[in-house]
Amino acid sequence: MIKKRLVGVITVKQGWAVQSFGFQRHLPLGRPEVVAENLDRWGVDEILLQCIDRSRQGLGPDLALLDRLSRQGLGTPLMYQGGIRSVDDAVAAVQAGAERIAIDSLLRDDPATAAALAGPLGAQAVVAALPLAWQDGELQWLDHRHRNAAGDLVATPLPAEVLAVLRSGAISEALLIDWRHEGGQGGQGGTPGSFDEALLDHWPLPGLPLIAFGGLADPLRLRQVLQRPAVVAAGVGNALSWREHAVQQLKTALLGLPLRQPVYAGAPYSGSRFVTALPARGAHR
Amino acid sequence: MTPRRVTAALVDYGAGNLASVARALTGLGYRCRSSRDPETLARADVLVLPGVGAFPAAMAALHAHHLVDFLGERARAGQPIVGICLGMQLLADSSTEHGLTAGLGLVPGMVRPLPRSRWHIGWNNMDVLGDDPLLRPSDGQALYFNHAYAFSAPGPYTVAVSRLDDALDEPITVAVHRHNIVGLQFHPEKSQAAGQQLLHNVIEGLLQ
Repeated sequence: MIKKRLVGVITVKQGWAVQSFGFQRHLPLGRPEVVAENLDRWGVDEILLQCIDRSRQGLGPDLALLDRLSRQGLGTPLMYQGGIRSVDDAVAAVQAGAERIAIDSLLRDDPATAAALAGPLGAQAVVAALPLAWQDGELQWLDHRHRNAAGDLVATPLPAEVLAVLRSGAISEALLIDWRHEGGQGGQGGTPGSFDEALLDHWPLPGLPLIAFGGLADPLRLRQVLQRPAVVAAGVGNALSWREHAVQQLKTALLGLPLRQPVYAGAPYSGSRFVTALPARGAHR
Repeated sequence: MTPRRVTAALVDYGAGNLASVARALTGLGYRCRSSRDPETLARADVLVLPGVGAFPAAMAALHAHHLVDFLGERARAGQPIVGICLGMQLLADSSTEHGLTAGLGLVPGMVRPLPRSRWHIGWNNMDVLGDDPLLRPSDGQALYFNHAYAFSAPGPYTVAVSRLDDALDEPITVAVHRHNIVGLQFHPEKSQAAGQQLLHNVIEGLLQ
């Protein structure tokens, strides 16, 4: 039986791994290679490497970083996001070490090219990354590259042509990012700061498997989200860097869900202390 | 006397991420070469055919590098060959991905869309059929998959399967074995320790 996945998210800005809060505030963590090595050793199911300034600066994918990670010998599947402008960029990212690529700006700027990625890569390697909020009775898609005259980030409804690409079979999964709660600790039972399940309730394409991310650090909240049939994976970012073995401890707390069993460096994880909540933000830095 | 190190040659035809597979092989203690040069490939103890992407583009690349006939000759000569992910599918007679395309024809069978699902993405358990000594130690292990098409091979060549939802689902062929040739639909190099152990067992088993 196919497992649901716990995805470790590494956010990279100017070459450094950072903690990200609501897409607007960032605190340095260290070298992304070290963060990836930890997640790999702790047995996370997939790593999402999102380089958040590549599209804004027109830099293209960070192939050098992908190459370094590849040579590091990570045994964990890697999804890459950031700076992909064309089919060639996407192919280069895969050849540099990514199993899959996630696209956001390309979907907005050039939906036809986004759809064309499935040609050389296969749709299974293409994920749509959508920073969303439920606002004024509809899903609003954040354009993280632009701000309005008041200096606020701009969000708009999902355009029909983007929905058409998502519906076409050219995209295998949608990464729904609750950008407002990204970096939040994610309290239990939907308290402020946790992932807004309205994004899932109102998602318009029921056939597309979903990865939920943003404000998912609390095991009970994660469990609620992962119990939904449409959700095949959940991403956790900052919280995995706050303590050793956070991956195994989260997985231990999620026993009973169809997740791969917790492991440490390949061996079954036996540090079975049940975790009900992760420490407060920044408690272990 | 120090035993001779086994050399694995990665067939570099421009499709996929060679570095991850190479790192996995060197991590297992093998000497690893990436090449499209027939002499270099023929000298290796084992050939590894990786691949990601679409079947027709990969076959076109193999043809462009004059590797189709070469791989057939090496297979007939008994050189061990391991196909990984798309590399396993390329071993088949043909694929229907983006139209009908002939494959390498090294393991009988055809590549078709997955039954009941568009994709098979993530970690899934592998059920080993029979007692294939190369795969049997990995029976029940969770391995990483990422594909939309699957190899449909006759019974004797299908040595392991997975199922998407439950035991009643139609099985998906995830490993094939014919003489000196093994195909693995999952990514052993991205399946953490379980994949490393399996890759080691397969290569050592083929070399015996």
